[in-house]
Amino acid sequence: MTAIAPHNDQLLAVKKLRVHFFTGAGVVQAVDGVDFAVSPRETLGLVGESGSGKTISSLALLRLIPRPGKIIGGEIIFKHEDLIAKREEEMIKIRGKNIAMIFQNPAYSLNPIYSIGDQLGEILTWHEKLSRQAANERVAELLQLVGITDPFSRLRQFPHELSGGMKQRVCIARALLCSPPLVLADEPTTNLDVTIQAQILDLLQELKERFHMSMILVTHDMGVVARMADRITVMYAGRICETATARTIFENPRHPYTQALLATMPRVDHSYSDGKTRRLPVIPGRIPNLIEPPSGCRFHPRCPASDDECARILPELLSLEEGHWVSCIKAG
Amino acid sequence: MGIVRFIIRRLIFMVVLVIGVSILIFFMINAIGNPIEILLAERPGISPEVIESVKQYYRLDRSLTEQYLSWLGNVLHLNFGNSIVYNQPVGSMLVTWGWETVKIQVLAILISLALAIFIGVTAATRQYSKIDFGVMSTALLGRSLPGFFLGILLILTFSYWLGIFPSYGAYSTRSPLMGSALLDSLWHMVLPVMMLTYFNTATLTLLIRSNMVDVLRMDFIMAARASGLSAGRVVYRHALKNAFIPALTYLAILFGLMLGTAPVTETVFTWPGLGFLYITAIQQLDYPVIMGENLIITLMLVIANLLTDIAYVFIDPRIRLE
Ligand SMILES: Nc1ncnc2c1ncn2[C@@H]1O[C@H](COP(=O)(O)OP(=O)(O)OP(=O)(O)O)[C@@H](O)[C@H]1O
Ligand SMILES: [Mg+2]
Repeated sequence: MTAIAPHNDQLLAVKKLRVHFFTGAGVVQAVDGVDFAVSPRETLGLVGESGSGKTISSLALLRLIPRPGKIIGGEIIFKHEDLIAKREEEMIKIRGKNIAMIFQNPAYSLNPIYSIGDQLGEILTWHEKLSRQAANERVAELLQLVGITDPFSRLRQFPHELSGGMKQRVCIARALLCSPPLVLADEPTTNLDVTIQAQILDLLQELKERFHMSMILVTHDMGVVARMADRITVMYAGRICETATARTIFENPRHPYTQALLATMPRVDHSYSDGKTRRLPVIPGRIPNLIEPPSGCRFHPRCPASDDECARILPELLSLEEGHWVSCIKAG
Repeated sequence: MGIVRFIIRRLIFMVVLVIGVSILIFFMINAIGNPIEILLAERPGISPEVIESVKQYYRLDRSLTEQYLSWLGNVLHLNFGNSIVYNQPVGSMLVTWGWETVKIQVLAILISLALAIFIGVTAATRQYSKIDFGVMSTALLGRSLPGFFLGILLILTFSYWLGIFPSYGAYSTRSPLMGSALLDSLWHMVLPVMMLTYFNTATLTLLIRSNMVDVLRMDFIMAARASGLSAGRVVYRHALKNAFIPALTYLAILFGLMLGTAPVTETVFTWPGLGFLYITAIQQLDYPVIMGENLIITLMLVIANLLTDIAYVFIDPRIRLE
């Protein structure tokens, strides 16, 4: 049940992770029993609609859930150690050095009042105890690697002097400073121009191979995971629907939610532009309120295949075949 | 634009502003009345010859424009005239009385700044906790109390009941505390500084707390934490500096308006500072003193403003001078 990765030599295994937000309006069950795993050098695509718990699951790996949220259960086994059991001082050595994160909005994820050299260099002097000089050289080296020209003069520039694409490149460089074995990329291209999106995805792919890293790529765009991911985990309303290799997900999706997500993907053999032909389909209904989530399967109110049983039975994530896990009582 | 050109332009503007304000004040005082009338009202029996000679002595027999221009001309030579009430040169009065005001005000601002940063950050990082709630309500209460009320409360508690701090004046009239002039002066400063500190701290803390709460929510704070920096480093190096930028303006106002808040405190504690002097000068229409004080108030405001603008340029790289 827990080894949802192809090999035993997992870098990361998340088991039954639960994160709840204790708000005035009630307890938001944002992540409620989530399992996934990542092998060395693998890219896991984490997909799902807005609000499905992708970002919260990623932040949980760093133990950085914002208040009033709390990890209330589960295990996060990273390099054979449970991160949930670690003290804050130990987590500081994991963050950035072992697990780094790239955020969704490059415009806001750099500190506006420190120069690029200052804020990236600080991480190196902090983690690696490098001198200012050595840190600057390493930062410039990484800026060069992420495709920024004239890196030494960029060290003195401030975030507001860079374009959106440039900022995201700087954020990628920041994540790679300490060559972490695992990088979490939370919608790294969502807020960028379409032309720049492709460049950034290519860059991530190239760097991942160069640094022998694993990556969790969070997105709601099936097109992005199709291009990048080795395996895909589909999330809905704080739970896992399906995990399989990218190929299996696209060719043989078994969960109705995965099928619905795939149907929303633009396809090259259709035209969506003029009114006469078919429009890009959307999944009917909305993601449920997570304070009182639907009984049984959380997707059942929107599911075309659901019946009374789906409203009663909480489906477990079960293995259909080698490496293919589905949580749907109808998929058997 | 270069910083030197910017400063020069602001200094020119400052001169124009100071002259404008002094013209306004001068004619406003004269619209109210003149010191001779007050003198006459107090001592009705003075002979017309004496009045005439006093008028001549203070040049009150000339036209208002002439009076103003001669005042301005003297000021350019750093001669602020003589006080009509104290019959002393206003320039040296401003220095001696000014020092008494500056020493309590600057001390209070520095203490408030340190307190506000510490309390504001503590409350913001524990938003909605009991500590946060306590800080917020104390500060809000502090801001809504009338100024003199706290002063009277302090005098009652620490002078009248406990008898540990003096309630008026800046120095002991007989022997100084433990024979030391410095200790004696600090001893007298305690209550007025406490009163000023409380009000400054209340507003500054609320400001820093709410700015910190906003900044702590920002993505770059999460990104800094995700890079492995410690919570303390993220709060003080990454968040506080950003949160402090908007508070800089308020700090400048505190410095610039030092003389604006001085009258209440100095009246409550009979403190021999510019605020106290200002009140008595207005009561007596001692116009050379009023004019001199106004000059200082205007200058302090404009200089505080200029220094803030320059400070912004050094703290916030997004700001350009224009
Ligand atoms: N501060 C918070 N207070 C209460 N609930 C929260 C908070 N932050 C997140 N949540 C809940 O957690 C759920 C998952 O949020 P999360 O940000 O992980 O979604 P996501 O899958 O990353 O969506 P998106 O594509 O919009 O980024 C949300 O539906 C929301 O209800
Ligand atoms: Mg998200």
